[in-house]
Amino acid sequence: MKPLLAVNGVKTFYGNIEALKGISLTAGSGEIIALLGANGAGKTTALKTIVGLTPPGEGQIIYAGGDITGKRPEDLIRKGLVLVPEGRHIFPALTVSENLMMGAFHRADKNEIASDLEYVFKLFPKLKERLNQSGGTLSGGEQQMLAISRGLMGRPKLLLLDEPSLGLAPIIIGQIFETIREINVSQKTTMILVEQNAKLALTVAGRAYIMTAGRVAMSGAAEELQNDENIRRAYLGG
Amino acid sequence: MPQISSKTSKPVLRALFSALWLAFLALPILVFRVNSISGIIEYQWSRLPKLLAAGFLASLLWNYFQKRHLLKQESPKAGSSSAGPPITWADRFLARTDRYRWLSLLGFGLMVLPFFCSPYAVKILTTALIYITLGLGLNIVVGVSGLLHLGYAAFFAVGAYVYGLLNYYFGWGFWVCLPLGTLSAALAGLLLGLPVIRLTGDYLAIVTLGFGEIVRLLLTNSSLTMGPRGIGNIPPPGFFGLDLNEKFRPFLVEHLALNPYMDLNKIWIYLIILLIVVLTTIAALRLENSRLGRAWLALREDETACQSVGISPSQAKLTALTLGSSFAGLAGVVFAAQITFIAPSSFSFMDSIYILTIVVLGGMGSISGVIAGAAVISCLPEFLREAEEYRFLIFGALMVLMMVYRPQGLIRSVRSVCSRS
Repeated sequence: MKPLLAVNGVKTFYGNIEALKGISLTAGSGEIIALLGANGAGKTTALKTIVGLTPPGEGQIIYAGGDITGKRPEDLIRKGLVLVPEGRHIFPALTVSENLMMGAFHRADKNEIASDLEYVFKLFPKLKERLNQSGGTLSGGEQQMLAISRGLMGRPKLLLLDEPSLGLAPIIIGQIFETIREINVSQKTTMILVEQNAKLALTVAGRAYIMTAGRVAMSGAAEELQNDENIRRAYLGG
Repeated sequence: MPQISSKTSKPVLRALFSALWLAFLALPILVFRVNSISGIIEYQWSRLPKLLAAGFLASLLWNYFQKRHLLKQESPKAGSSSAGPPITWADRFLARTDRYRWLSLLGFGLMVLPFFCSPYAVKILTTALIYITLGLGLNIVVGVSGLLHLGYAAFFAVGAYVYGLLNYYFGWGFWVCLPLGTLSAALAGLLLGLPVIRLTGDYLAIVTLGFGEIVRLLLTNSSLTMGPRGIGNIPPPGFFGLDLNEKFRPFLVEHLALNPYMDLNKIWIYLIILLIVVLTTIAALRLENSRLGRAWLALREDETACQSVGISPSQAKLTALTLGSSFAGLAGVVFAAQITFIAPSSFSFMDSIYILTIVVLGGMGSISGVIAGAAVISCLPEFLREAEEYRFLIFGALMVLMMVYRPQGLIRSVRSVCSRS
């Protein structure tokens, strides 16, 4: 079967700095892929390149059978390519419901939007309680929930999650990862998960890519990577 | 009954307090008068009771309407279920929210007002309305989209000079130049927008500042625009080719006993800008709740978030700058017609700041706030005129007090209420 997303030899530059030195990865329909690695390995850049925020200098990105290299993010989101950015980036002065509706900005199908809203509230009942509260007044965990929900309101086929555990309490992280798995199971949403917390990421992901210095150093099934003593010591922090 | 008496006395007490406070605040402006020629201070204590009474009444009225508003919210459509005579259109009109009735009354009042005012008052009112248009335009850029713009007067100048120049060289009239000036200003906004697509915050502010200066210097140094001498003799807007003062003034003076020295051309300009203010206010309100408005809001809030929900920040920026500038162009054409003489010095950096003050003082992103801000800012210096050279000192002090004690502006926007509560 053809993968939903195929990244082939992509290089991305920030000015003269080569942030991605030719990476290749695939994500099959319904898979959760983990993108692991140390700070500065190029994980976030990889996600930004896929959604078109930092267009690649070289290489090719194929999504749902079409070449999307160099396409703009606002066009890609219409095709179901949604990024939940690092550090949550919700709209602080807008209310929770306004934030969620912003996620559906490019959509006009009112009934579908309403049913998606119901779905999101089922996933995160807390958000329904805070519907008219402004985003900035939510706790960190709630803001992350809102960020993921806002992403879901865009009806993603491929959801890219950048560090969803950043700065959250362990108990909240557990809840969020539980929900991520649930979304994947019930909606068949394909996901690429960038995480510092490698151990946790490998528990939900089927496969993982380990990046170092702008390259993919290693890839394989999550279980294999987890059980390999050498890899664990070298890349996954014990 | 003690309960009722306490209920009625409370607003009265509050009104009394507000009146005293207002009198205290306005004391240096309205009561003390410095006669700089003979070097003495005159005290006009007779004004004080009037001031107190006005403050008292205004406060009572304000309280009354607020209470009515609250009551209405508590019991919406209380009697609607009870059976009664069929509802006629007249009932519906009367039942239509108070707001519409008061607004139409206010509109009518503002329409007839200039006929009973001195030419000087008409001039101030017209200026205030021009500033409202400018404030609403800049509010789109600064208040709603969060782009700090320090060269807004340049677009005002574009509008004014389009009328001035087209009239000087080709003899084109006001009504042709009004849409042309608006369009030119919008185009200039787009032109400024293209290089600043990638800029935010301080950098954007500096570029807009530079742009404003470039436009002013171009106008000052170009022989085409007559340099610093400016363009004079700009005609008033036409009224179906009739001379207003000749045709209508004798009639008005004779039959309605109006001021024989009034200038109907100026009143005509006032009515035009009044209509423009109504239209731009409606446009601003509609834009606020539109897709475009939400995109601007997203841009102000967080650029990264903007991109991740599929809003292009550069498109949002360009549309905000273009539309915001078009308001200035509109105001500029009317301004040129009003003062009949335009020179580059009318469109300096200080004027940009002046308009920015309106938006900030009125309440960023709040349309009613901007209207109130423009009214206050353009009328305040006129009231302060009696304080002579101290007026800008007082003006500045008021501004500082305002920012310290009420940073959300005169009327805060609905959104900032949620964000800070």
